[in-house]
Amino acid sequence: MLQVQNIEKYYGSKNNVTKALNRVSFDVADGEFLVIMGASGSGKTTLLNCISTIDTVSAGKILMDGEDVAGLSEDALAKFRRERLGFVFQDFNLLDTLTVEENIGLALSLNHADAQTVQNRVREVAEKLGITEILSKFPYQVSGGQKQRTACARAIVAGQSLLLADEPTGALDSKASKNLLEIISTMNRDMRTTILMVTHDAYSASYAGRVLFLKDGRVFNELLRGDRGRSVFYHEILDVLAALGGDVSDVL
Amino acid sequence: MTYFKLSMRNAGRQARDYLVYFVTMVLAAALIFAFNALAVSGEVLALTEILENFSLIIVLASVAVVCVFGWLAAYSTRFMLSRRSRELGIYLLSGLTGRQVARLFFLENLAVGAVALVLGAGLGGLLYQVMRAIVMAMFAQPYRFALEFSLAALGRTALCFALIYLFALGRSRRHIRRMKIYDLIYFERQNEGAILQKGKTRRLVFGMSLVLGAVGTCLLMRKSLYIAPAGAFCAILALFGFFLSFASGVPAFFERRPARKYRGQTLLVFRGLTAKLASMGVLMAVLSIVFTATLISEGSSSVLYGIMKGRTAEATCFDLYIGIEGETPDPGPYLTYIGKNIPVEQERPYPVYLTGKTQVQDHLGKMYYNYSCDSDPVLCWSDYAALRAIAGYPAVEPPGPGQFPIHSMTYLEEALRDYQGTILVGETALTPGGIYTEHLSQSYGTANGRGYILVVPDQAAEGLPVHHIAYAAKTARPVTTAQYEAVADLARAERDRQEDPSGYVFVLSKAYEETEVAAQAVVGCFPLYYLALALMMTAVTILTIRQLSETEHYRSQFALLRKLGMDRREMARTLGRQFALYYTLPTVPAVLIAGSFIVHLAMMPEPGVMVGWNSPAVIVMISLGAFFLIYAIYILLAYISLKRNVLASAR
Ligand SMILES: Nc1ncnc2c1ncn2[C@@H]1O[C@H](COP(=O)(O)OP(=O)(O)O)[C@@H](O)[C@H]1O
Ligand SMILES: [Mg+2]
Repeated sequence: MLQVQNIEKYYGSKNNVTKALNRVSFDVADGEFLVIMGASGSGKTTLLNCISTIDTVSAGKILMDGEDVAGLSEDALAKFRRERLGFVFQDFNLLDTLTVEENIGLALSLNHADAQTVQNRVREVAEKLGITEILSKFPYQVSGGQKQRTACARAIVAGQSLLLADEPTGALDSKASKNLLEIISTMNRDMRTTILMVTHDAYSASYAGRVLFLKDGRVFNELLRGDRGRSVFYHEILDVLAALGGDVSDVL
Repeated sequence: MTYFKLSMRNAGRQARDYLVYFVTMVLAAALIFAFNALAVSGEVLALTEILENFSLIIVLASVAVVCVFGWLAAYSTRFMLSRRSRELGIYLLSGLTGRQVARLFFLENLAVGAVALVLGAGLGGLLYQVMRAIVMAMFAQPYRFALEFSLAALGRTALCFALIYLFALGRSRRHIRRMKIYDLIYFERQNEGAILQKGKTRRLVFGMSLVLGAVGTCLLMRKSLYIAPAGAFCAILALFGFFLSFASGVPAFFERRPARKYRGQTLLVFRGLTAKLASMGVLMAVLSIVFTATLISEGSSSVLYGIMKGRTAEATCFDLYIGIEGETPDPGPYLTYIGKNIPVEQERPYPVYLTGKTQVQDHLGKMYYNYSCDSDPVLCWSDYAALRAIAGYPAVEPPGPGQFPIHSMTYLEEALRDYQGTILVGETALTPGGIYTEHLSQSYGTANGRGYILVVPDQAAEGLPVHHIAYAAKTARPVTTAQYEAVADLARAERDRQEDPSGYVFVLSKAYEETEVAAQAVVGCFPLYYLALALMMTAVTILTIRQLSETEHYRSQFALLRKLGMDRREMARTLGRQFALYYTLPTVPAVLIAGSFIVHLAMMPEPGVMVGWNSPAVIVMISLGAFFLIYAIYILLAYISLKRNVLASAR
């Protein structure tokens, strides 16, 4: 469903250029759970931002179902984000004046879905993600794990097919992290949501079906899980990270 | 959740988070409403026809006020937008278009504006009553509280508000439409950065700004309409130079003096302040200019009122006064008219003589400028005693034999006391015999002397040359405008019959003069105060919004300090000091520049006018007092809310 072709991204002025992404290419298949790993500063966030249309590429192409996202008009882009993409950030990015329910249903209702449909959709998703009890609460009244599940619910409530997550467990404790990863796996398995998750944490990565390793803005390696169990996969990931060089402890 | 609901909820939050801004907008509506209600009030306009132009002037002033508040609204919405960039980014990410986000923001501000307008109009109704009472008191008319609501004023206020918000929202709409999601989501507060980095340039700019400031202030004080703008230009340049170089200079100052840095709370106070100033150099300069403009318009309106009051105080001591220059004018015609038409309780026609010598004038020298009396003016004692009675002053003992009392305006009193010489009036030699200084109509050409008059025994005055024939009366009722005009016509006709028809003629009626002064004050001073208030409120609101936006920063800083073992009282003191410095800085140049300007302005009119409650010192004090009163209220509001937020959480 997603094709990334030779994209490059530069930051900075003429005499001081940072190459955040350097000729990165890969494909994502429908229903896949892909993780992108790399040390801090390796370009993970930049890559995700380019795919999510938050940022633009300096060179190369990103195709969604064969269509170049760079060519979309403002309205088409908004529609595209609304209907196709879901985002989850490390720091939740929920609106603190809205209840959990309103946060989830906001985009749907602002785009003229009738109240009943919105409510049904929100309840349905909330049930799957186990946040039905907190629907009427405000973000500051719920835990980090619940906030992140709210963000996940918002990301898929309109039937979006691609979930982009940037270090979604970064601000969570290990129990909440595990819980969230389970939920993301479920979403991938049961709802056939395609997942593209960025992390620097090997444990989180071990939930994926495929892991891409990024180093200094380049794709360095790729690891497929196949039929292996999660703990085996986890150790393989650690091996690659070690090979990636020096700062394993930093990566962990 | 609909657009409407979401906008309303955001509006509520906006009013809470930016309470200072909201309160100011309410006050803005109240101000616009009250002044416009006054300008369309039939009761006020009927007071005198001099007020004819008042309505138009308030319209013009309102245009200026709309620009000022438009600036505030534009600045504040822009500021809110940057503070809420992440929220806007989330909207965009959720699939809203820039247009939709702009519409959300528009609705939100519309709601806030509408509420401010309604509250403000209510408050403005009360303010209008207060102002009406003041105006009525100025015109010596009875004030009766009457609950009236002016639809015309409401319409004008609504129009002003629409313009204010349209301007601000038009700008923010363009801004929203141009925003990039990336910048919104990953918005990290960028410092504008110090503009002047190089130490040498900075010192040069700093030095030059001080020189320019002094030069500008001097130029402003020249009595020339051509030079004053150049002075203002210099002063403005100076303020920009000062704030740009000062803000970026403070950190450098402490870099070079590490020992100073760690003394007491210096580090905290200055680090907190310079972080803000470095990014606020231009804004601080602009605010300082606004404060200067505020003080100048406040001060000049006080001076203006002072001049008018001072000049008329002298002219309104008699209910009716007439003076026609020349030896032979016949008071007959106007006496006949007055006898028929004006109920008089006490009256006196009398001559004002000249000694033919200039002894006293010579003694006064430079501080006295001769106008139409080319020798010392004289009243005879019996006329003087009668005049005192007509003016309602206590009777005084007749002078001892061979003495001449002097009646003078206060500004000459001291100099006249020094006069010890003997004067020769006709054949009689007289020595000084005391000074009286009540108002006695002494500042006009055909008045009771110009500035001073010598009072001599009746027989000594006999045979002296007559400067003019005067008349003073105490009437049972205030003289009406029609009566005043009739008398004035008769007096002028009498003057025209004189040998030299170019002489002076003055007809003064207490009631007429007072109405005229009140009307001029209303027309001249009210709009200036209107503008000054708008400027002041706008500037201090912007200052406060910037201060309060640092709440988060302060909170974490003080929580940390608390952990490091800093005492709560000490923290409160540090916070207080940062506050004091922050709010003092932009007012210092304003007070210096505007203060010297006002003092100078107040010293411009002829001597004897700006005295007592009108003296330059008092006017400066009152202007500064009014300014700092409002200033203090805002500071207090900001301090309380910051202290509650910052120190409470740092327990
Ligand atoms: N807005 C920016 N301006 C300049 N450089 C940037 C910007 N964003 C990211 N970079 C640089 O691009 C590189 C990749 O950053 P990022 O994608 O955030 O890494 P990661 O998410 O893997 O930690 C880093 O070297 C970073 O410093
Ligand atoms: Mg990152």
